[in-house]
Amino acid sequence: MTAVAAAPAVSPWRLSGAGLAARGLAYLGLAVVLFLPSFATDFSKTCSLAVIYALMGLSLNIVVGYTGQLSLGHQGFLGLGALVTANIVAQAQLPIWLAMACAVLATTGVALVLGLVALRITGLYLSLITLVFGSAISSSLFALARFTDNNSGVKIQRPHYLATNGDWYLVCVAVLLVVFYFDYRLTVSKVGRALLALKENERVAEAFGIGVTSYKLLAFALSGAIAGLAGGLYAFRGELYSEKDFQDPNGFTLALLFVVMCVVGGLGNRLGVVVAGLFFGLINELLDDLFYAHWVHPWMQHVPVLGSYYSSDVKASYLASLIGALLLLQTLIFNRGGLGAQLRPISRWMTGHRFELHDATHSGPAVAEGSSVRA
Amino acid sequence: MSVLEVSDLSIRFGGLQALQDLTLTVNEFEIVGLIGPNGAGKTTAFNCITGFYKPDTGKVVYRGQDVTRTPPHKKAAMGFGRTFQNVGMVKSSTVLDNLKTAQHARVQYDVVTGLLGGGRVAAEERALEAKADAILELLGLTEFRHLRVGGLSYGTLKLLELGCALATEPDVLLLDEPSSGMGPEESHELGERLIELRKAFGLTMLLIEHHVPLVLSVCDHIYVLNFGRLLAEGKPSVIQTHPEVVAAYLGGEAPEELAATAETPEEAALDEATHPVAAKKAPAKKAPAKKAAAPRKKASS
Repeated sequence: MTAVAAAPAVSPWRLSGAGLAARGLAYLGLAVVLFLPSFATDFSKTCSLAVIYALMGLSLNIVVGYTGQLSLGHQGFLGLGALVTANIVAQAQLPIWLAMACAVLATTGVALVLGLVALRITGLYLSLITLVFGSAISSSLFALARFTDNNSGVKIQRPHYLATNGDWYLVCVAVLLVVFYFDYRLTVSKVGRALLALKENERVAEAFGIGVTSYKLLAFALSGAIAGLAGGLYAFRGELYSEKDFQDPNGFTLALLFVVMCVVGGLGNRLGVVVAGLFFGLINELLDDLFYAHWVHPWMQHVPVLGSYYSSDVKASYLASLIGALLLLQTLIFNRGGLGAQLRPISRWMTGHRFELHDATHSGPAVAEGSSVRA
Repeated sequence: MSVLEVSDLSIRFGGLQALQDLTLTVNEFEIVGLIGPNGAGKTTAFNCITGFYKPDTGKVVYRGQDVTRTPPHKKAAMGFGRTFQNVGMVKSSTVLDNLKTAQHARVQYDVVTGLLGGGRVAAEERALEAKADAILELLGLTEFRHLRVGGLSYGTLKLLELGCALATEPDVLLLDEPSSGMGPEESHELGERLIELRKAFGLTMLLIEHHVPLVLSVCDHIYVLNFGRLLAEGKPSVIQTHPEVVAAYLGGEAPEELAATAETPEEAALDEATHPVAAKKAPAKKAPAKKAAAPRKKASS
């Protein structure tokens, strides 16, 4: 109890010149790494997907991480966002930004309905309802021929000033950064404190003057809005809306992937979830293109039994889900805080604190005693 | 002037009449005690007053305004501060964050402004922190500022919870067993502290308490509940010698048929989960009370 006077955060303008320069360089490096993929043609498309996954991670994190409810239907929001965007652009010829705004409105509205359900039903049953929501919307709304150009997919075009994949990738990154900022604001303002209080104990929250109804709905609405935005980006990424991306079994795989991303990233940990989202977004393509096609497949043919199992049309996504499962296990057993907890020393250093592997504030006895994983 | 007027409050849980026609008045700057054996309906009364339960009949009037059906978070904003029998705080947050969370209803900026950020929000967040620090200092808990609440000892938590209730800027403070988990000396200190706080913040208090010396020393007026009904009320000196109170609570034989009534299921669960200390301590206070407590324990299990 004595080692409490933890050094308060050094504010950035009180850092030494060298410290400031080092951090400036780190940010510059990060900016370059984020910027580089925009020069590639195919790879930038893959990276856009990774950024969209990161957005979905942030979206789901609000529901799972901040309010403590498990949603297994988030691919429904992504698909709805893509559907609305693509159809508005293709059928009403509205400008792309307006179409994406409509997508956000639509997903926010649907998320609010789900939020109303969440007011009454929590825990396992809510997860079940979100699961049913995801597959219901994919087999009804997504299957309507009207919205899928008679099942051939809705073709749309990006505006001429964003014609290349690299341009669109930069748009995705910009959106991610803006959403990241709002998510940060969420956690440091009264909203984040209210959501955390609600997650732990609704009665206590109410005694503190926090309206349970409005804040739960707010959380779902924000989550839906981000997912709708991600859906809009998704539609323009491939310049094609295809309902099959979000219909089962693809849809359910996506929904699970989003949850795995959140857990592996660290529930409620913004940075961890974004990194996990980027990782899972990239891993499929990377495995396909590099690892699997060039190394594993030629080599596997010589292995008895396994060789016959690996035919040429087997995609690396199998390997990716295996990696996902292993990472999930690793997180749950060894590292409940997820990637975010591992990245914490770095993120603290980047925000102007001293580099410490264990910071006094957040390694109280409570960490060892209670898990932060809650479904 | 009366701050809080409760009249004919009744609530029923299934077959159990948890409260029956409870009427009580809390006047400005008074500290009013609500005592009674386990399962008497004290916490239920608190929950009805603060809006967590909707009473079947009866009225709660706060400063002339009928607030019977007002939801708890609105009541908190109106000036109802409360603590819980089991500690009511956000356990995974730090002490400082809890005190900031408790000021939720006093925050001036709206949600959108909070999300956008900016100078005004930052200034207000600093003000919240300053207020939290002032409360920590007042209660002598500054050293715990950055610690997670989940790791603190029970006595500290009870005091800190009082701090959180103060941070809501209450007008009337409802304390549910503030001295549980504290020794006799600490609870004596708590009594003095409550009187100081009343003076410093101009508070009116209603408190549920098992620690009889504390109640007798700080309260201006005492209500005694037994099996959901008001058994007696009056000044501490009157209550101390009231024959029925002595029989039912302060140590005497309870009538057989009444002892069979169980606690409300919620209260029983709360007591068991969070209150092993008080539950064990209460019967040991006076020898005859043991007899009265024994059949009740059986009924609640």
